[in-house]
Amino acid sequence: MKKRVLALTLAFTLAASALAGCGGDKKEETKAPETKAAGEETKAPAGDDEKEETKAPAGGDEKEETKAPADGDEKEETKAPVASGESKGVIKLGGVAPMTGQYAEYGKGFDIGFSKAIDEINAAGGVNGYTFEISIEDTQSDPVNSSTMATKFAEDEEVMAILGDFSSGACKANAEICDRYGIVQLSPTASASDYASMSKYCFGIMGRQDVEAPFLAKYVLKEYLKAQKIAVIRVDSDWGKSCYDNFIAQAEKEGLEVTVETYATGEKDFSSLITKMQAENPDVLVVMDQGDPVADIFNQADAAGWEIQHVALGPGTSEQVAGRLGDKDNLIVTSPFFFDPEDAELAAWAEWFSSEAGFAPTIHPACAYDCIYLIAEAVKNIDGEVTRDALQEALANLPEYTGVTGAIKFEADGDIKRNYLICGIEGGEWKVLEGFEYGAAGF
Amino acid sequence: MMQQAKEFYRKYKVIVWIVLVAVLAVLPFVIKKAVYIRYLCNIMMYATLAGSLNAINGYSGQFCLGQAGFFAIGAYTGAALAKNFGISFWPLLIVGGIMAMLVGFIVSLPTLRLSGIYLSIVTLGASEIIRIIAQTWEPVTGGSLGIKQIPYPNFFGLDMFKPQYYYYIFLFLLILFLFITNRVLKSRVGRAWMSIREDEIASKSLGVETSRYKSTNFMYGAFWAGVIGVAYAPFVNYIEASQFTTDTGFNVLAMVVLGGQGTLAGPILGSVVVTVLTEALRFLESWRYVIYALLIIFMMWVRPQGLIGASNSMLAGGKIKVKEDKKKGGEAK
Amino acid sequence: MAYILNQLINGICQGSIYALMAIGYSVIVGVVGMVTFTYGEIMMIGAFSSYYIFTGLSNNLPLAILGAFAGSFIIGSIVYKLCYERFFNAPRHISLLCTIGISMLIKNLAQIVFGPDTKPVLNIIDNKTFTLNLFGANLNIRLLQIVVIVLVIVFAVALTLFFNKTKWGVMLRAVSQNKDASYLMGINVKRTALLGNCIGCGFGGIAGILLALYYGSVSATMGASYSTKAFAASVLGGLVDIRFSALGGLCIGIIENMGIIITSATFRDVFAFAFLILILIIRPQGFVSKKGARV
Repeated sequence: MKKRVLALTLAFTLAASALAGCGGDKKEETKAPETKAAGEETKAPAGDDEKEETKAPAGGDEKEETKAPADGDEKEETKAPVASGESKGVIKLGGVAPMTGQYAEYGKGFDIGFSKAIDEINAAGGVNGYTFEISIEDTQSDPVNSSTMATKFAEDEEVMAILGDFSSGACKANAEICDRYGIVQLSPTASASDYASMSKYCFGIMGRQDVEAPFLAKYVLKEYLKAQKIAVIRVDSDWGKSCYDNFIAQAEKEGLEVTVETYATGEKDFSSLITKMQAENPDVLVVMDQGDPVADIFNQADAAGWEIQHVALGPGTSEQVAGRLGDKDNLIVTSPFFFDPEDAELAAWAEWFSSEAGFAPTIHPACAYDCIYLIAEAVKNIDGEVTRDALQEALANLPEYTGVTGAIKFEADGDIKRNYLICGIEGGEWKVLEGFEYGAAGF
Repeated sequence: MMQQAKEFYRKYKVIVWIVLVAVLAVLPFVIKKAVYIRYLCNIMMYATLAGSLNAINGYSGQFCLGQAGFFAIGAYTGAALAKNFGISFWPLLIVGGIMAMLVGFIVSLPTLRLSGIYLSIVTLGASEIIRIIAQTWEPVTGGSLGIKQIPYPNFFGLDMFKPQYYYYIFLFLLILFLFITNRVLKSRVGRAWMSIREDEIASKSLGVETSRYKSTNFMYGAFWAGVIGVAYAPFVNYIEASQFTTDTGFNVLAMVVLGGQGTLAGPILGSVVVTVLTEALRFLESWRYVIYALLIIFMMWVRPQGLIGASNSMLAGGKIKVKEDKKKGGEAK
Repeated sequence: MAYILNQLINGICQGSIYALMAIGYSVIVGVVGMVTFTYGEIMMIGAFSSYYIFTGLSNNLPLAILGAFAGSFIIGSIVYKLCYERFFNAPRHISLLCTIGISMLIKNLAQIVFGPDTKPVLNIIDNKTFTLNLFGANLNIRLLQIVVIVLVIVFAVALTLFFNKTKWGVMLRAVSQNKDASYLMGINVKRTALLGNCIGCGFGGIAGILLALYYGSVSATMGASYSTKAFAASVLGGLVDIRFSALGGLCIGIIENMGIIITSATFRDVFAFAFLILILIIRPQGFVSKKGARV
């Protein structure tokens, strides 16, 4: 009996402490005094709620109508920090990233990328008098968690934009929320073809596969490698599917002969797939995946004694993948950018990242880093008040910006098209493979 | 103290319930922050899901590990029908439930011959098979692309996208579930389940058709998992196969066991504890799940039968209770 | 034809790793009498132990195997203390939830301690391939595959001998058959169960290093999918019989790889589980011939 009471008390104390603790959750890097934030909270929703409730039934499904009044709402609320602030104030950003779980590695990369960019911008005195701040919430890239956290940020009127999440799935789950609340979701890594078009508030800078995959088929395979028979092994995810769909469309135009095999996320044993592909006797082995399996597949193909040209779509010039390959020099990838050791700035960036994270950077943290600069760039272009909608507009109309990961210019639907390079490894270093004309022209 | 509380509850049962429901019903007006409402939604959703698992594990003593599969069936049925045919949310609740029930029936077929851990692995396997089918059956489930922008429920023209509205859907489902389950448990069927849990051979000898009741038990649990799955799909707005892994199933199982198997309130409390803990421990960052796991183990050590475990059943911790009672000389009673 | 035979070799190799996992699993379930969901993490610990020996000391395979066995053995004793010892007389689901908790604990701790990234395990064994000409069909067998299969056979035989020829082995068998009776015979049941659990975990660790070698990488989250595979293989063999469990593991490995011939690797787990369910419907006790046959 005693134990039961004890356990129950324990449980409820935990529950109570949690509810009490939730209020102070965003303390992580928040510099603004708590009292101000609290005052805001009580003021803001009162007006907001009434309007929302009367709005929803009347406005129905038409997005434009529901958004317009929300817009006015926010403007009023954002005045408070500006008026009270030293200089012009702080722009708060909400980060959603997988800090634990299967994708923890990328979440850590996000964290480092975000913070570095913000530190740099703030150290340089901010943008237009604004400094930046981000609080990152762990979502494990799980849609339920991610959409809860997105709601949290969307509700906090001080948060101007949501950065993240890592997986396309989580981003897609958040898209509707961002659309309804009218807040930008800028994902460094979501590359599913149908993500950014879900709302005008959704942006992604990973680059869609409708350029890279055809580029691979036409330039890398057909023109550079002069291959005829292609074996494709791809991950069975939304990303892998859109890669392959775009790839096969172009490959058919080029008259390539393609055999394809898929595997589930989390697969480790590729020996049977390799044996299957080996029986087809292709010229080139193409792997479409973004991370570790790329290295696993090539290593296992080597271990099977299969001598074949390796091509990968997805990992880019990942030092991690390169570091894990047994036979490095045999790999060709397409990449929007690479950590060119000649480029002092980039090399320093990569080195700094490795020392901070304990592992070599992939394109993902670099994209996260660029995301912050994009936001800063957008803020620079806003005349007057920085509101969520102003930010959305500024992002959508942002002139081409060149970041660590190359040139970024948003298309109408909020995605970008990147230019791609053909890269390979020579002597353990990534190199741009040259000697023939190529480019993204024509796509 | 516990005794007094029980006494009080017994006396004023109806009033307690009315007050409780009334408090829950006005909660969204008190709590203005949608995030907290979303947490409450999560709690109620998992409470119903855990309750549906408890209906199987806690009442008939079968050990199902694959509740995520039934949940997935409901979610996909609801999402696919709403998205492709524009069917309204409310009838879908029933349709999704029935679909899950049918699958539950199929899964229960091997269970007629199996028991214990053999049964568990069959349900686990079935859940994985369902997930992989969802991952690959493109025309219906969207394959690896999943189903996005699932239409929100519509209540007489009110587009119920806000957590505040959703709160009432989950509250309604939870109360409905508790009410019906309570009735079922007190009926002939429920008593048959519990007799199977306590002693299958004995109940067989008393004329209980154990295989039929075990099968209906599975179907009943699956039905509710399906219903809550239908409600889940528009709530997250986007579903894909990776949301229904065995880990989801284990998570729900943890709620049931932590709260206390074989009680109606147990899974609810379990859901509260699990959701609150995982949120409250956020400040620990990457240590979050380490501490969470330690707390689970700790709770199992302190209270193996769950926070409000049934003390009157063999399978819900009866043996431990007896042992402790002996040690302490029957101090508890 | 050559293609199918090559796939068969892949299947046998993967199956033999599954077999080793299933053997370890069966020992745990047999001796302790409770199922575990920590097994995947135990394998991960074994794999990481060997990884650190490879990178820190030398590419010495026997040493790494010893390290993996020791690492998993130690973790096994912790798991035993936390999950089993207290709950021998309690309902099954309690220790089960504890093992789920421990699994979460080890996985997340490993991500913090070992880092979240995947680490390579390469060139421990040369990438050599032997080509065998069998009735005109060219069979490719990798040196790695031979090493894996030989190691699995060696350890399986060693374990069988241990169970049949040593005093400890007899005690373990006694405990696995009837705890109360062994207690009456003067066997320290708890200590014997601890030993059994640790040996089972040790074998899991060795399976972990074989996985690391065969797939060329280790990561903190690698264990998850193999935990259920080991469980399935062990159930297929009747849970407590090591020979039949090994057979179960082998069957699952072969079925999976044969299934890939017809469809794609996405369906790998469908084949494994559908086969399991089918067998269980036909033979509710798995392969094991008579009910109650033990380790």
